Amino acid sequence: MTSIDVRDLTKHFGSRRAVDGLTFQLRPGRVTGFLGPNGAGKSTTMRLVLGLDRPTSGTATIGGRLYAELRDPLRRVGSLLDAGAAHGARRARDHLRAIAVSNRIPAGRVETVLGETGLTEVADRRVRTYSLGMRQRLGIAAALLGDPEVVLLDEPANGLDPEGIVWIRTLLRRLADDGRTVLVSSHLMNETSVFADHLLILGRGRLLADTPVREFIDTRVRPEIRIRTTDDTALADLLALHGHDASRAEDGTWNVRHAELEGIGRLLFEARIPVKELAAREATLEQAYLDLTAAEAEFTTHPQEV
Amino acid sequence: MSFAPALHAEWIKLRSLRALTAALAAIVVATTTFSILFAASPDDSGASDPLFTSFFGVSFGQIAAIAFGTTALSSDLRPGALGLAFAAMPDRRRWFAAKAAMVALPVLGTGLLTGVVTLLACRAVQGASAPTWAEDLRGVVGCGVQLTLTALFATGLTALLRSGVATLSLLIPFLLVLSFVVGDLSSGIADLLPDRAGQIALHSTWDGSLGPWSGLAVSAAWTGAALLVGGWRLNRRDA
Repeated sequence: MTSIDVRDLTKHFGSRRAVDGLTFQLRPGRVTGFLGPNGAGKSTTMRLVLGLDRPTSGTATIGGRLYAELRDPLRRVGSLLDAGAAHGARRARDHLRAIAVSNRIPAGRVETVLGETGLTEVADRRVRTYSLGMRQRLGIAAALLGDPEVVLLDEPANGLDPEGIVWIRTLLRRLADDGRTVLVSSHLMNETSVFADHLLILGRGRLLADTPVREFIDTRVRPEIRIRTTDDTALADLLALHGHDASRAEDGTWNVRHAELEGIGRLLFEARIPVKELAAREATLEQAYLDLTAAEAEFTTHPQEV
Repeated sequence: MSFAPALHAEWIKLRSLRALTAALAAIVVATTTFSILFAASPDDSGASDPLFTSFFGVSFGQIAAIAFGTTALSSDLRPGALGLAFAAMPDRRRWFAAKAAMVALPVLGTGLLTGVVTLLACRAVQGASAPTWAEDLRGVVGCGVQLTLTALFATGLTALLRSGVATLSLLIPFLLVLSFVVGDLSSGIADLLPDRAGQIALHSTWDGSLGPWSGLAVSAAWTGAALLVGGWRLNRRDA
């Protein structure tokens, strides 16, 4: 099994620090979501791991070796960085065949990945006739070509239709369950929370979080309970009496912070307050992320570089 | 490290782009057509160089060779494509060498064929003033080598400029305009230009300091320099 080790990785473009002292490890058997706003350094980090950009300092190794030292690297690491990489005038099958022979990948794999990505029917069409979603699938097909232990995908859900998004979720899950190391960058929080086990969050080239998804959400987002009732006065008195931190929104919905569903339910029942709705509000990755970035902003006194 | 997989990949890439196969065909067609037209024009046939009459069209064939040498590399310069290529083959020098080989071999083959075709076609038109067989042989080899060097020069320049458009808009005006103008003004310096130097091998007689083989050597020096500098830039920069 192959993990990726990134140590003190830094990349400057002129005076801008695209990647700033990153240290993390990607482990096999799980999907790591790579989050951060556009320009946070996600793509640059992937390019540094693949040896496409040279780091200003620090190292990124795959199973202890630099990418450039790997023999037939596509059989170890598969990547999708840019869905536009395939030449428009080339047929998809020829595009994949050229990549396959360059890394001594058996010709049969071309058909296998075409099948896996649902492109078999259109494999002899020129790439320029493809939709963005089909190009994305072709890029993923190229990444899977060498049956690699490590898969790096930069925004793979871009341009996919809803069916495609479900497909890629299942695919990522399966790759991780096979014991592969999977890194998937995205700027879509909720999508990432569906498929990722682990999170790496970048902000302005720096690592803000390296944590399991569930733990990240649970520690960042305080649970909330939502109540609607026909007797607002009674509810207000009851919540105040028990010292709950609650507030009423304009549409009549009460939000109770730091409370448990079970305790509140019993209180309402015992006080005989009529309930129209009682629910725990699902904490989302988005909330957790916003909480994190707000906390970051407090400690950031320097204006953002442009 | 074996070189064969890299070559094989480039071979598939070449064959699967129509622009590239069309450019190869254009080398034969352009050279032969313009040579025949020149050989058949009555006022020039007697006075001019008998061998070069058959190779007059090679300047136009060179344009096709430039298009081929440029496109072969620029098709890998679109956004993301170079990243894909280097992810598959992190040894960039090996990748570039395979690319150059897959420019050189097809153009050499096509160029030799072009030499034979244009000679035979022009011989039919020229009649009595046809060149000797020894000259013919030199002409065919020279035509193949010169076209190959021209295509590779374009590949090297494309790597250096990182743009097919920039390369074409630099080389084609150069070939069509500058070389002809400078060539008429002073043959001494013009003979050292990459396209002119190599074409001396396509003449029956020459009067400058360079002969057919030293002319090709000058062309080869230009090409070698372009490939070295282009390869160095490709190797050094972020993909």
